Amino acid sequence: MAYVATRGGERAIEQSERLFRAEMGEITPNRVTEIRTAMPYLVDRVMGESSLYDEDLAALALAQTGGELYEAVLLLRAWRTTQPRLTVAEPVTQESLFTHRRISAAFKDIPGGQVLGPTLDYAHRILATDVLTGATFQPVPVDPASTPSPAQQPSVAAWQAENNLLTAPTTDTAIGNDIPDVTREPLLFPAKRAHTLQSLARAETGGVLALGYAAQRGYGQAHPTVNELRLAEADIRVRHPCGTVFSAGRVKVSQAEVVSKKDTELGLGFAATLGWNEVKVIAAATLDLNAHGAPKGSPTEEEFFLYHTEGVESSGFCIHFKLPHYVTFQSSLDAMRDAKAKRAVSKTDVKPQMEPAE
Amino acid sequence: MTTHPVPSDFETRTNATYDALMWALSRPGLIRHMPETGQAGVIEALLDRECKAHCADPALASSVARTGAALVASDHADHLFFDSLPDADTLEQINLGSDLYPEIGATLVCNAVLGQGVHLRLSGPGCNGPVDVQVAGLPDGFWQNRARLMRYPMGFEVFLIDGAQVLGLPRSCHVEVL
Amino acid sequence: MSLKSLTKTWEPMSYGFLDASAKREIRRKMLKAIAVPGCQIPYASREVPMARGWGTGGLQVSCTLINPGMQVKVIDQGADDSVNAASIRKFLARVSGAPTTMNTLEADLIQSRHRIPEEKLREDQILVLQVPNPEPLRPVQPNMSIARQMHADADYGRMWLQLYEQIVRSGRVMQGASYPSLVNGRFVMTPSPIPRWDVPKMDMAAHLTILSAGREKRLHAVPPYTRVEPLVFDDVPYRVEEHAALTCSRSGARGFFMNEIPQGDGTSTYEVSDSELGVKTIRCRDGEAAQVGETWYKSGEMV
Repeated sequence: MAYVATRGGERAIEQSERLFRAEMGEITPNRVTEIRTAMPYLVDRVMGESSLYDEDLAALALAQTGGELYEAVLLLRAWRTTQPRLTVAEPVTQESLFTHRRISAAFKDIPGGQVLGPTLDYAHRILATDVLTGATFQPVPVDPASTPSPAQQPSVAAWQAENNLLTAPTTDTAIGNDIPDVTREPLLFPAKRAHTLQSLARAETGGVLALGYAAQRGYGQAHPTVNELRLAEADIRVRHPCGTVFSAGRVKVSQAEVVSKKDTELGLGFAATLGWNEVKVIAAATLDLNAHGAPKGSPTEEEFFLYHTEGVESSGFCIHFKLPHYVTFQSSLDAMRDAKAKRAVSKTDVKPQMEPAE
Repeated sequence: MTTHPVPSDFETRTNATYDALMWALSRPGLIRHMPETGQAGVIEALLDRECKAHCADPALASSVARTGAALVASDHADHLFFDSLPDADTLEQINLGSDLYPEIGATLVCNAVLGQGVHLRLSGPGCNGPVDVQVAGLPDGFWQNRARLMRYPMGFEVFLIDGAQVLGLPRSCHVEVL
Repeated sequence: MSLKSLTKTWEPMSYGFLDASAKREIRRKMLKAIAVPGCQIPYASREVPMARGWGTGGLQVSCTLINPGMQVKVIDQGADDSVNAASIRKFLARVSGAPTTMNTLEADLIQSRHRIPEEKLREDQILVLQVPNPEPLRPVQPNMSIARQMHADADYGRMWLQLYEQIVRSGRVMQGASYPSLVNGRFVMTPSPIPRWDVPKMDMAAHLTILSAGREKRLHAVPPYTRVEPLVFDDVPYRVEEHAALTCSRSGARGFFMNEIPQGDGTSTYEVSDSELGVKTIRCRDGEAAQVGETWYKSGEMV
């Protein structure tokens, strides 16, 4: 005996899911491989926001959700949360990264050199419409440099610290299981440094950009200079139970250092994430730079930006408004009608009341 | 995934132990039964490497070590396990949490004899009117110290274990010695 | 201690979806929530295969408590067969093999969004309420850290002031659902967005209530036989929705919380919001065997 507005709930939800999946069509290993190889930056973005590095799984998540990014990230995170923690890798240092691209806006040249690496920064953004009429777009081969740039590079902030331009961040000596893990414990404020950096690393790119951009436009106290932006590969070194440290492979990472003048020193903001995502790390580092001393409730306050750039939470809450709310609505109507009836009697002014969304 | 997962023995046991602990704390004074005797079951249902435990008894300490929880001094522990509590002053060491984070207040698990000894009258959340219980095997001054130390909402929880029986006392529970 | 004793046999999915460490954390936090009624306890809140804001907090609690012997009921807006209730019920059954029921009297565990059933819950039943926003102070203080300090100081002055201002402006308290309530005389909590009709059911109730917000990563509890008092001034009594005199157009049930159904002619009809109570009432009317349990409200009055 169906009773509620949406009748036959079980059947309805099953059929609506079928409809979505039917429109996606077959998912084959080929489709997954094609997504992985054709869209590495999209795969990177999904891996970063999921805090899970596996290109095949990320491509599969994209295939399964038809590229609905929030769904793809949720799918991967829900898979990730069920996986056992086998071990914690050795710390990765900036100097040890295999660097593909590394630029600084702060100095014309920097120790280790500027390495442009792969970028569209100076490309003219012209659509290759010929492809649609049957032509193949053939990338022009790269001319190798006479001397390769060094694979490993020091950090610019380290040089600045040596020259008393900034105070180097204190080294966090926590290793292994002592490193706080924001996916295993609640985020509380003031946040642990590890929690802040982890939250920014898995934050939603668009959200970080929106708030980072607000800070850059003047809603923050500090205007960032990109000290260093780096795209690299990090060697993941783990310790075998018998004691040997070995490489379990490399993952792509991006990181940004931004600085701004703060009295007689430079303030430093930092962010890093899995995969190559330049916009995200520059925006996130800007937020980090602005967080110290930010007024409560401002977009550059840590609590504000960490809560509101969490993509799985924010997108989930946003779409939850599709769920029926007729009980709460009925409850509000009751209070409203009564107040209106009272006003009709007393003719006093009724101001609108705000209640938080439920 | 087409078939239902079947709970392992471990899952079944820890689920039932937790059920007993939860209802013991929800209804202070009503004795609940755990699937196995002793404190080892409590340890495996609640503890893992995110916990800091204090454990005087070596046999229990090895149960704790197996969960990955750190063994620490009593004033740093979030869980304390005692075969028999040496004296009532031990309660002074227990972490009460803070006003901001009352949940940091610890949980004390110790053996006692339920149904004999001192007559107690319990009241507070979970008690539908006054609840009378008898408890023996705790050091003199235990109840006085407990009452003196609680700074609600700061405080600590107590589970008294007698074989497979458990009696829970949340910090919100007022205990009157009759 | 051998390596083997520290490992477990591989399973394609943990029983109840959550792994053992996630369950232990939720168990520890639930115990503290019970010990300090109404106090919001932060927890890690793992991702589950459902979107945040769709009952992931309630789901994590249910997944922790569930076992194959437990009868589970899931409702949304009072109804068992609304789409999200159906989805959650299906998930719980799939990951646990636990039997499901729509009968409030048969259920051991009830996960609900926005309603407490009209039939009285017993001492052996657990109600898990899904919570979108666990912080009752948010309308007066959106910053979680400051709000937490206010709870620590039992500083509820701005909460009272807000209620007072509403009475001055509108002649009544304008809060619809989620009516802020004082638990055990100490913590102001949100009872979750249940209608005001349902809040008095929590006061000195026989059952255990766990309220869990997955997105906001906080849970709180109301143990059995615990005082839950809606914040009211002595001279302005608490008022539930004016539903006492309404009659369900389908079942004839009267004196319960209703859904208003707008009609084409500009009027409204009403349907009882607790769908299972409606079904039982219809069955009784049709002479079928259906047992309606004791209800909290009798003839529209809270007993």
